[in-house]
Amino acid sequence: MSNPSSATMSQFRHSATVAIADIQLQGALTGATNKFVNGRITALTELPHANALRDHFKKIRSATLANLAHYLELFEERATTAGSQIHWAQTGQDAVDIVLNIARQHGVKLVTKSKSMVTEEIHLNAALEANGITPVETDLGEWIIQLAGEPPSHIIGPAIHKTRHQVAELFSKEVGRPLPADDIDGLTAEARRLLRTQFLAAGLGISGGNLAIAETGTLVLVTNEGNGRLVTSAPPVHIAIIGIEKICPDWDAAATWLALLARSATGQPMSIYTTAITGPRRANDPDGPEEVHIILLDNGRSQLAGTPYEEILQCIRCGACLNVCPVYKKAGGHAYGSPYSGPIGAVVTPLLFGLEEYAALPQASTLCGACKDACPARIDLPRMLLQLRQDEVAARLLPWRERKAEEFAAFVLGREGRMNFFTKLGRWGQRPFQHDDGLKLPVNVGDGRTLPSLAPKPFRQLWDEGAVE
Amino acid sequence: MNPRDEILNRLQQVQRDETLPPPWQSRRDFPELAARFRQALTAVKGEVHQVDSLAAAYDLTNQLLRQMAAEKVVVNDERPLPNLPRLPHITYHQVGQEDETLRAFCASADAGLTSADAALAETGTVILTSGPGKSRLASLLPPVHIALVPITALTTDLFTWAASFNRQLPANLNFISGPSKTADIEQTMAVGVHGPKRFIVILYA
Ligand code: SF4
Repeated sequence: MSNPSSATMSQFRHSATVAIADIQLQGALTGATNKFVNGRITALTELPHANALRDHFKKIRSATLANLAHYLELFEERATTAGSQIHWAQTGQDAVDIVLNIARQHGVKLVTKSKSMVTEEIHLNAALEANGITPVETDLGEWIIQLAGEPPSHIIGPAIHKTRHQVAELFSKEVGRPLPADDIDGLTAEARRLLRTQFLAAGLGISGGNLAIAETGTLVLVTNEGNGRLVTSAPPVHIAIIGIEKICPDWDAAATWLALLARSATGQPMSIYTTAITGPRRANDPDGPEEVHIILLDNGRSQLAGTPYEEILQCIRCGACLNVCPVYKKAGGHAYGSPYSGPIGAVVTPLLFGLEEYAALPQASTLCGACKDACPARIDLPRMLLQLRQDEVAARLLPWRERKAEEFAAFVLGREGRMNFFTKLGRWGQRPFQHDDGLKLPVNVGDGRTLPSLAPKPFRQLWDEGAVE
Repeated sequence: MNPRDEILNRLQQVQRDETLPPPWQSRRDFPELAARFRQALTAVKGEVHQVDSLAAAYDLTNQLLRQMAAEKVVVNDERPLPNLPRLPHITYHQVGQEDETLRAFCASADAGLTSADAALAETGTVILTSGPGKSRLASLLPPVHIALVPITALTTDLFTWAASFNRQLPANLNFISGPSKTADIEQTMAVGVHGPKRFIVILYA
């Protein structure tokens, strides 16, 4: 599967159609998302006052973004004092250049990476490879899709679309002998063995960051496998790339953040490893990197501050909204053509990478509101999806047929008399197309679905006649 | 203008007066911290033992090392580990001495022994710090990690911990809440993917 890096109306329609017809993928999506949803609900039910904590978190995120410049400067100051080197990147390319420079200075040939959506966003792996540097993904899910040459299909579970048979095939190729698909422990052990040598040989470790705490200049990384710890402890140099919106004012706020992150993401009370990095190894530390670089990446984020879209910067990339989204659950992650899929992806992707290229995404929602209910920061994703749709209308990005249809609908529905007239006309006009189960029109308006025909008597008339309870 | 100033300028132009809410007060109240700790950690396949003296913790540690037929063990130089009686058939690496060979030793060690600075009852979490004599790899590379933790290190949860610690941070702070695990292949849980397969905490009075 290729990564289109866009999702126009026809691209999304095409990939979603292919995904829906793929029975294996549908099974995998249902299984994974249900598991995540149940886990989250159980974990939050076990936490007393979870809803009050979410309200509290929303206030923290909102107040942080209101003063983002202040907290970024504070973070820079404290992290620098601790010995970390801070870099600022306006664009993805800037961040890539910074990484390449550091890698060149140290003559790095092999890089180990822990899972990072931001590096997917800036296409770091391709840039490293083009410069003769081998990046090895070490999160098991990320490694699987790296071997398969695919983009991640879920923020938390990048390889949820892969079956164990497909994984066994990929690993077998890597080790040069057949591995049984039914032995998941065995496959995991094989990955441990293969990646262990890479961890110890790499000259550079690259990670993302879940949050950056201004108060102490600390970068926090959350993983379950331990690869995040290895990537940030074993190589002599560590580079972390983090979006500027992931700033957290202090440790009290960080406690709230961490209390909600794992519970919302995987249903764990806490991830197995939460690693807080405050500078490189100190004098007499027996191990740890000699250099820590933190790249603060903007890539369009600061443009959203102070706009109606600022709220999207509150996102902590937990993936909860994906798991409850009826569109994501059928279309899968790849249809979104972006590392960020599901409801968060449908909002943030067009905002960061262009509404025109991703015109289908704001439409890829039923506006059911399940995402907002699931979000630990209670982000109003449906509101922003609607707003983006308005932007699309204003920018004339919708297909002309849809535009005309909407203009017509506005005309008809605008006056009661018109509405009555057109309903009568419709009841008469639909006759040749009426079948037992509904309307079969000669033009494809319902995407192959049968449309209901107009009732013999409109509801309002039944109401007036007292025929409705 | 450099990228830093451009980003900050843009943000400064839209900044608002909005203050942080006061810190969240933990609303947890566990009748017994150790019991909650054990329950939380065993639920994620961690192993918890509770003993009533340091001597008993040493005995148990050595018993566990014998059971797993450990031959190479890396030991952090932090209280109470320096006084752990050494077993004759085991090769030890004491962190803080010959640190040049530490990494290679850890990579082939059967177990790593550490203490912990604090522990969270709610989530079954131990908090490890880096520093002289305290290796990050000792609790990471070997297949077994044993942590000897005084019961007094227990606090309720992240909130009570955040409210109490002094903001003097080491380069590396690790919150460990179980054995390394993954669910990346068909959401099936597998332990020991990159870190330890076994995570054993000995709480001593
Ligand atoms: S929008 Fe909310 S639910 Fe979705 S990934 Fe972000 S924080 Fe999680």
